[in-house]
Amino acid sequence: MDKSLLSDVPQVAIWIARVVVIFGGLVTTAALMSLAERKVSAWMQYRYGPNRVGPFGLLQPLADGLKFLFKEELIPAGANKLLFRLAPAMAAIPSMMTIAVIPIGTLVIDGDTIPLSIAPGVDLGIMYMLALGGLAVYGAILGGWASNSKYSLMGGLRASAQMISYELSLILSILVAVVLSGSLDLTKIVEAQSHGFWNVFTPFGFVAFVLFTIASFAETNRHPFDFAECEPELVGGFHTEYSAMRFALFFLGEYCAMTVMACLNVTLFLGGPSLPFLENTPWWLGIPVFLLKAAFFLFLFIWVRWTLPRFRFDQLMRLGWKVALPIALANLLVAGAWVAFTTKGG
Amino acid sequence: MVVVGRKELTLAERLYLPEVMRGLALTFGKFFEKPITRQYPEEPLPTDEVTRGQPRLVVKDDGNIACVSCGMCEIACPAYAITIDGGETDRAIEREPKKFEIDMLRCILCGFCEEACPKDAIFMSNELELADYTRAALVYDLEKLRRPKSALQRRIDYVYKLSARWRRAK
Repeated sequence: MDKSLLSDVPQVAIWIARVVVIFGGLVTTAALMSLAERKVSAWMQYRYGPNRVGPFGLLQPLADGLKFLFKEELIPAGANKLLFRLAPAMAAIPSMMTIAVIPIGTLVIDGDTIPLSIAPGVDLGIMYMLALGGLAVYGAILGGWASNSKYSLMGGLRASAQMISYELSLILSILVAVVLSGSLDLTKIVEAQSHGFWNVFTPFGFVAFVLFTIASFAETNRHPFDFAECEPELVGGFHTEYSAMRFALFFLGEYCAMTVMACLNVTLFLGGPSLPFLENTPWWLGIPVFLLKAAFFLFLFIWVRWTLPRFRFDQLMRLGWKVALPIALANLLVAGAWVAFTTKGG
Repeated sequence: MVVVGRKELTLAERLYLPEVMRGLALTFGKFFEKPITRQYPEEPLPTDEVTRGQPRLVVKDDGNIACVSCGMCEIACPAYAITIDGGETDRAIEREPKKFEIDMLRCILCGFCEEACPKDAIFMSNELELADYTRAALVYDLEKLRRPKSALQRRIDYVYKLSARWRRAK
């Protein structure tokens, strides 16, 4: 019997390799996003953007990281020292952990199929993501409260208020994808779409996709909903008092959350690593296709930031509760009814 | 009382999304346009003969400095930036500066020294960059101030042109 190439490699090694590749990829993406943010904004404003460190400024994230490491850390007098130190980690770690359940694609090496995901096939994958995504806001709230500064506190409060109002429509639009695919397992949701018919092609899937995209902006505290760090009113919002690497951790957390949201959007509505209208997508095309789709959403995050002005806080709340939530609810109802009436033997 | 009516929004505008798309299309269009930033150290600032840069001393074609250390510029200088110490020579023009210092941190680039000079010895160059690590290094001495006449010729011609105009007006 022929032995396959990977049969001698212990399972643990493959697990560790998967973790290293995916987690490293996530952090690298987050770092490059900080560069992309500046480059894209520059191009949209007739500027060049960072171009001094390395070719085309590609080493800028490295230089920034080094700078953050060597800067002095300040802890304001009257701050709650423990929580102040804990908050950046609380913000960054949950957003990094959520990448674990995203199925990025599969590698086929010499006949062996390796899912490119840290934890493939978790049956409550979406619940896990939402639970951790909800935790991430604690970082902002704790940071805002522990800084003992009015700006930070306002930022933290806004972050939590915004998170509550948008998490609802976010979850309701995710549920549409769940209803359409019939599983909470992200791998199964991708499989259900893998024959060329994405969730976004159904009318309710499309509405859910638009709602999810909007809510993901609010969920990751991005423009035009970045009230937690609204500069003109709140200086820097919840991270006003932070400096050096702790500040960078908040940033890293934000960019990781954006990356994961982009990946989740692709997974739920745009068929993950599959091409549209194709019965089967070859595995070697799956990963680039997934990354391209995710990259588009990451670009969209930046693109929107440098296009739209910030909402007013009451407008944000009105949009969340009076517009997004009713639409999301009705949309879920219609999707559920359609699935219930068309599924045979259900 | 003036009442400014608020513009009634159309349905498409109230839905946000079509307008958002329009905005996105606009910024995407700008995306590919040529940047207008000047890449400063590589692309220096444009200068011409009107540029009033740092003052420099003229070295005549025979290699001697044009300055006779009369002290007119020192008196004209409103910022007290110039310090001159004169000395004798055995040439036809019998004096030249032994010490000529301009404190570039004091100099306000007003050009009064250029106007005051009776011997066409000091002119505003087009050199604008001024940076160093110590204050002492920015007190320029005779060596740092010397420029061949050819390097300042454009400014010299310009100053002559200007003063000719004043003479005509009189």
